Amino acid sequence: MDYIFKGFLDAGRLMASFDPDVWFIVWTSLQVSLLATLLASLAGVPLGALIALRRFRGKPILQVILNTMMALPTVVIGLLGYAFLSRRGPLGALELLYTPAGISLGLFVLALPTVVNLTLAAIQGLDPRLIVTCRLLGATPIQQTWKILREGRFAVTAAIVVAFGRVISEVGIAMMLGGNIRGFTRTMTTAIALETAKGEFELGLALGMVLLSVALGVNGMLFLLQRGKT
Amino acid sequence: MTLAYTIKDLSFAYTVEPVLRISELEIGRGEIVGLVGPNGSGKTTLLHILAFLETPQRGEITFFGRPVRQTDLVTVRRRVALLLQSPYLFHESVLSNILWGMHLRGVKPAKARQAALKALDLVGLQGFGHRYARSLSGGESQRVALARALALEPSVLLLDEPFSHMDRQAVQQTEEIVNRLCCDNGVTVVFTTHAIEKVHVVAHRLIHLWQGRMVPTGPENLFKGVLKNKGTLFDTGNILVQLENPAARGDYIVIDPSGIGIQLDGTGETPPNTYSGTVKGLSQENERVRVVIDVGEDVTAFLAAGDPISGALRLGMHVTVAVGPYAISVL
Repeated sequence: MDYIFKGFLDAGRLMASFDPDVWFIVWTSLQVSLLATLLASLAGVPLGALIALRRFRGKPILQVILNTMMALPTVVIGLLGYAFLSRRGPLGALELLYTPAGISLGLFVLALPTVVNLTLAAIQGLDPRLIVTCRLLGATPIQQTWKILREGRFAVTAAIVVAFGRVISEVGIAMMLGGNIRGFTRTMTTAIALETAKGEFELGLALGMVLLSVALGVNGMLFLLQRGKT
Repeated sequence: MTLAYTIKDLSFAYTVEPVLRISELEIGRGEIVGLVGPNGSGKTTLLHILAFLETPQRGEITFFGRPVRQTDLVTVRRRVALLLQSPYLFHESVLSNILWGMHLRGVKPAKARQAALKALDLVGLQGFGHRYARSLSGGESQRVALARALALEPSVLLLDEPFSHMDRQAVQQTEEIVNRLCCDNGVTVVFTTHAIEKVHVVAHRLIHLWQGRMVPTGPENLFKGVLKNKGTLFDTGNILVQLENPAARGDYIVIDPSGIGIQLDGTGETPPNTYSGTVKGLSQENERVRVVIDVGEDVTAFLAAGDPISGALRLGMHVTVAVGPYAISVL
């Protein structure tokens, strides 16, 4: 028990000392995760809305595929990403392997089904009279979609937050596509895995605490947003 | 008279079985039309078709003299306003709710705001502009939705059960608005209602719908009364009608003439909804005979012209009338 307690103390000391290594790792994590979430939101929210609002053949099959993709293990995405981004792969020329951009790309693939699926569910859960009212008031399909997303903004925001939570806490993609290069592609999760394996328990704990703080901050913001929605 | 709508050979189905079939219907500009009929008769479906929310599988609709195509839907919808029975208000202020429709039409903000405030004033909700729309009562929400519709200055105003959540004062106000819109601005108004007395007060013309079809004189055997015994009994004041399925609410019942049987002996009265009465009217209508029997209420039944009972019936004859359970609808 002592070593856990000592680990917490050391972690606190390490964070308070503003160790540049620690904060660089935190910054890299936030950077790749925020970029991936932003791209996934830009693509996923309209896509989710489109699937929810349109009637087309194969919609149920598409929903099953999206649900399955939400459960896709991160190492599988990492593996596929590696296959695509490695020199012999179709996207090898972009030289994204072992770069923060490469990690972001993998995290984007991870976040996209979550954003699409949860946006779709959020819109399908809205009052059916909303769509009728938009059409009655003379909205074009684009104006309807915009209004519907505005009405469902809290649920859509929650979808984005869930996706962010998923990407910032994953380790498989960051490890396989980033390579855990110190001062370049090392993220909080890959650093925790490495430092713990090395026996550097306090650094792992310090990063774990930062990771938890980020999750707490994001969820706290969501809570405040939800509370103010009346 | 300029026509707002011309409908020909319309057929509409949600699944396979058509729920609305109209061979011909014309509604004039500035006309107030009341749609009446029991639940499931197609009133709301017809309103949705007139609002261009639903597209019939068959038939032709012209709107102010022009055939309506799929590509014109947004344009024609902007000339029509439909007030839903239970309207949806956006999660924003009352004023923002009213302004959005005008914003879509490119009305300048200052002019739109002026029109929105005027519409609120018209429905008796002055000072409500900054209230959060979702916190309003059912009646207030309906009036906000009416204001939202009026602010758009539509050529056609469609109202689905407009008086259902309103108090007496609001009903009177709405009647006045409808009359003013039609007389002063030439707006066509079509509304559905269960309050049949209201139709006669407000409408220029009635359209009776029965099982998705227009019927010329309205449903036969329409009786006003009250529900009793937890909705299992309907009392017209003159006869008691046993209901197969308890009804939660309803001020009228309709008895489908095709579900009425006549016996000549005039003796038995034991099974539910069996009444003794005297034949009050007999008339031949094409292939059928219309029989009116006084059982406390005047009940109309139709018999085939070749039916032996129809040949034996005489005025003043005592008969027994049996009403089948599925012939009864509560309105």
